[in-house]
Amino acid sequence: REQRYSEQHSSLINKAYRTLLNPLSRGLYLLELNGVEPAQETDCDADPVFLTEIMEINEKLAEPGNEDILEETETLIKVKQEELTKEVTTAFERGDLQEAKKLLAKMKYFANLEDKLKNKKIPS
Amino acid sequence: VAVGDAVPRQVVDHYENPRNVGSLDRNAKNVGTGLVGAPACGDVMKLQVEVDENGRIVDARFKTFGCGSAIASSSLATEWVKGKTVDEALKIKNTDIAKELCLPPVKLHCSMLAEDAIKAALADYKLKQDPNKEESEKKA
Repeated sequence: REQRYSEQHSSLINKAYRTLLNPLSRGLYLLELNGVEPAQETDCDADPVFLTEIMEINEKLAEPGNEDILEETETLIKVKQEELTKEVTTAFERGDLQEAKKLLAKMKYFANLEDKLKNKKIPS
Repeated sequence: VAVGDAVPRQVVDHYENPRNVGSLDRNAKNVGTGLVGAPACGDVMKLQVEVDENGRIVDARFKTFGCGSAIASSSLATEWVKGKTVDEALKIKNTDIAKELCLPPVKLHCSMLAEDAIKAALADYKLKQDPNKEESEKKA
């Protein structure tokens, strides 16, 4: 019984560590702690310029492997994620939870792009 | 992977043989473009319609980056809007899409995204036809 207790807690600790380590999951958790639900509904009036940018990066990634484009795209995604992380931090510091929520939604799109890029780099 | 995660055959079909993938000229006056995103899962969907002078949708294309259900929903949406008038297409409901594709509850939001994409594309088309109507249209 004690072993199961340890296992459960060890697993919880791992989950907590992973959640807090990643800025996106950390931010979403902070929203949750403050009683704000992460963005759920379709972004119909979301910034069309932003969505267009996400579409374009997706299209670039979908193109057959060109090393240079991949590297360029990887850098772009990293830069955007860093920018967004800074903006989210500022929003939380200001107590502007709605702004944090919007920014975290944007980070989700970039997190997906990061995953897609990682999968592209793995030889299949 | 939980039991009951089996992908419905219809979704696999649309995923492996998507219909109408591509783009239309977004600058053409009779083309409406809808660009929507789902913040919870980070899916993006672009749906375009080409409407003839009688208000009938003669062509439709989509580009979706997301899960199989989102791709299937938008693929089905482009199939369904073709041949319909703008007003008929506005009646397409996410529940119809979900039912046709046998989407599980956890993927219902994908069909909602497709419905929103259709509406966004049609709204864009309408706006292009009569920019002055924008204010009254927004209330609809």
